[in-house]
Amino acid sequence: MAAYVSMGEAHRRITEYLNRFSDAVSYQDGKTLSRLVSVSSDAAVLVSLAEALNTFQDANRLFRQSEKYSQYADILLPMFRALQSYRLRNLVESYLAFEKASNAFLQEFRNWESAWALEALYVIAYEIRILAEKADIELASIGKTPEKLKGAGSFLMKVFGVLAGKGPKRVGALYVTCQLFKVYFKLGTVHLCRSVIRSIETARIFDFEEFPVRDKVTYMYYTGRLEVYNENFPAADHKLSYALTHCNAQKEANIRMILKYLIPVKLSIGILPRQLLLDKFDLNEYSDVVLALKRGDLRLLRHALQEHEDRFLRAGVYLVLEKLELQVYQRLVKKIYIMQKQKDPNKAHQIKLDVIVKALKWLEIDMDLDEVECIMSILIYRNLMKGYFAHKSKVVVLSKQDPFPKLNGKPVNS
Amino acid sequence: MADAGRKPHKPMDRRNNFYSSSSSSYSNSTKYRNSNYPKPSVSSRDSSWITPTKKSTTRNWDSDDGRRNDNDDGHQDYPTLVGTCPFMCPAEERARRERLRDLAVFERLHGNPAKTSPNLAVKKFCRTISIKDVQASDVRPVPVLEDTLNYLLNLLHSSDQSFAVVHDFIFDRTRSIRQDLSMQNAVSDQVIHMYERMVKFHIISHRHLYRSFGNPNVASVCHLNMEQLMKALTTLSNLYEANRASHSMCQNEAEFSSFYLLLHLGSDKQVEPLSLWFRSIPSPIMKSKEMCFARRLLRYYRLGNYKRFISTSEREASFLQYCIIEPYVNEVRMLALSCLSYGGYKLQPYPLLHLSKLLMMKESDVESLCADCALETSSDGTGKGLVATKQSVIKKSSGGFQKYYPMESERIERLCTELPEL
Repeated sequence: MAAYVSMGEAHRRITEYLNRFSDAVSYQDGKTLSRLVSVSSDAAVLVSLAEALNTFQDANRLFRQSEKYSQYADILLPMFRALQSYRLRNLVESYLAFEKASNAFLQEFRNWESAWALEALYVIAYEIRILAEKADIELASIGKTPEKLKGAGSFLMKVFGVLAGKGPKRVGALYVTCQLFKVYFKLGTVHLCRSVIRSIETARIFDFEEFPVRDKVTYMYYTGRLEVYNENFPAADHKLSYALTHCNAQKEANIRMILKYLIPVKLSIGILPRQLLLDKFDLNEYSDVVLALKRGDLRLLRHALQEHEDRFLRAGVYLVLEKLELQVYQRLVKKIYIMQKQKDPNKAHQIKLDVIVKALKWLEIDMDLDEVECIMSILIYRNLMKGYFAHKSKVVVLSKQDPFPKLNGKPVNS
Repeated sequence: MADAGRKPHKPMDRRNNFYSSSSSSYSNSTKYRNSNYPKPSVSSRDSSWITPTKKSTTRNWDSDDGRRNDNDDGHQDYPTLVGTCPFMCPAEERARRERLRDLAVFERLHGNPAKTSPNLAVKKFCRTISIKDVQASDVRPVPVLEDTLNYLLNLLHSSDQSFAVVHDFIFDRTRSIRQDLSMQNAVSDQVIHMYERMVKFHIISHRHLYRSFGNPNVASVCHLNMEQLMKALTTLSNLYEANRASHSMCQNEAEFSSFYLLLHLGSDKQVEPLSLWFRSIPSPIMKSKEMCFARRLLRYYRLGNYKRFISTSEREASFLQYCIIEPYVNEVRMLALSCLSYGGYKLQPYPLLHLSKLLMMKESDVESLCADCALETSSDGTGKGLVATKQSVIKKSSGGFQKYYPMESERIERLCTELPEL
């Protein structure tokens, strides 16, 4: 509940804010400026300003009164409206006003010489996305089409355009890119990421190494996820590993998010995480998958996929994990091979298909000879097994040398 | 978030410490969940309820209405358009095409190429430049569109013209129906049902076209048909999503989602990766019988389990699903031949008889397929067999148009003789 503020006090607070704002611009104090525009935060200065605005309704007058403030009227009048609306929980109103303020801010930003105001621009970019998300929730709840987030995306593209130049402001482009990623991922319009990615990666004005580490990590995380969706595992491994390596060790929530995608990728190229890692970052949905791969336990893999189906589907890694079946088969046959070797090393490399059928039956999986032969032929074809199978004798004959080639960091041949 | 033991931040090679052990808690951030906030509730007061929305490429229900607005990022608010044309074809267009003698065979009155009637003329598809130039009198409202669709789909059984001619006409005229629907931003159960029927038409056409291999023109018609099938299906997908809040699942959504999935079995067709598409599908649909079937086929396809792919398709596919699966069956058969030839025993050619059972083909067809793939067969006392060779690459026939080998199955034959209701 907003506190009641007297007219005099309200006037004082608003003028104080105006002074702070104009001073921040005059002295190129990016940090202060950024604090003044974070509408959705609970910063004391903004809460008290909002209360003041409820009392002092005619902020317009203040702008007209002083030359010092009037130049910022285009930015701040809508900013005030955004702030007030936000506090009163009119989220659509808040977004619309903030969008106006942001556009005006961007115009001013263009004219400012150095990159001093980047931090404030970051806050604007962040805020517009957050406010848009909230506005869309409100729209949906009253039966209207939620389209503010899409509008925020358009604005962010504009910001990107302003930053994509030769000057010092260009280091801000990656942050804005990441905000765009977040928008597109939320909207599901992930294909729109392509054009920004292209700009970042091919434009000559950008040198990836110049960008702040934090932004590089976020960027690699999102582009890594895109590679996972497209099943480009070497690229996904490279990007997500980069994100992991450069991520602040204390940001454990972020590390967890990276690992959530990196683990299926690593599994696909034959690298297993230790249980301790899964425990530390609460990624135990992968525990049984890892165990299944270690044991060659097809039943366990399928069970794990079923148990965590919703989670894996939401993350978008379900199909990746499903494909691990081939590696599980490989492991199963290898175990049979090892057991046979212990009994009789001379005959170990010949495995009767019947034995495999039995092993699978023991795992409660029903497979006839034809299907087992089919799987064996696929394993050989995809270089997970070296050897051949004899259809008439119903036997697989493994190569004496390296019958189960390791993946060695490469995904299974398609 | 509790910090147990501060570690200095160094960008070290984490791979060595990838599996480090220390314990602490973390916060669970679930930002990447399904981005479905409650959807707008749409009440269908009458059959042509219109949703006012901003016209933009991602929110527009129909991804194909001929408008060149790929770069349209603006927030222009178009007024909602309600069509008023009471005929299947606007009077003005009818008169114009009579003059120009631009009438399809079905539109000619008593075969006269210069005369038509309101009962025969159907509005043609034409690329509009901008919705601002469109007049309400040229656009048919939803009830008229439904009658038009009924009339068109009826031609499939009632006409004596060849399939190619019928298909061509329905193809174009239904595209125009979709265009009219999209311009009016119509969203309702009735509209959804119309899209479902049009999708079915394209699926059936797809099979017809695929089977008439040998005709050189067919390849491009087939491709165009596929294009429209995808577009209509995508729009339908959007409509399902839009309608979700107002009632429980549309009863057919599971079936049509399975069509979408089956059409995307091969990775080459993917604009949107399947993993991403899955995120937007509600759980009950994912777990439906139709989707489970399609997902299983997807798994078999991706793993290369040709045996189950073929046997499961044969045993469980519905007619429409089979129409979509059929081209993949051949692809999978070729994979089977590759694998069996690659991993087989040199001294024992793989019996074609057994292959014919495995791949559900006539033995003579197996032999032909081997020849198509440049794989050698040999014969000995017991019969013909596929010769093993370590060559791992098979020549695929160019142009993506494979020879058609039917599925040797009573069930499938029965399925294919019964024409479904459209």
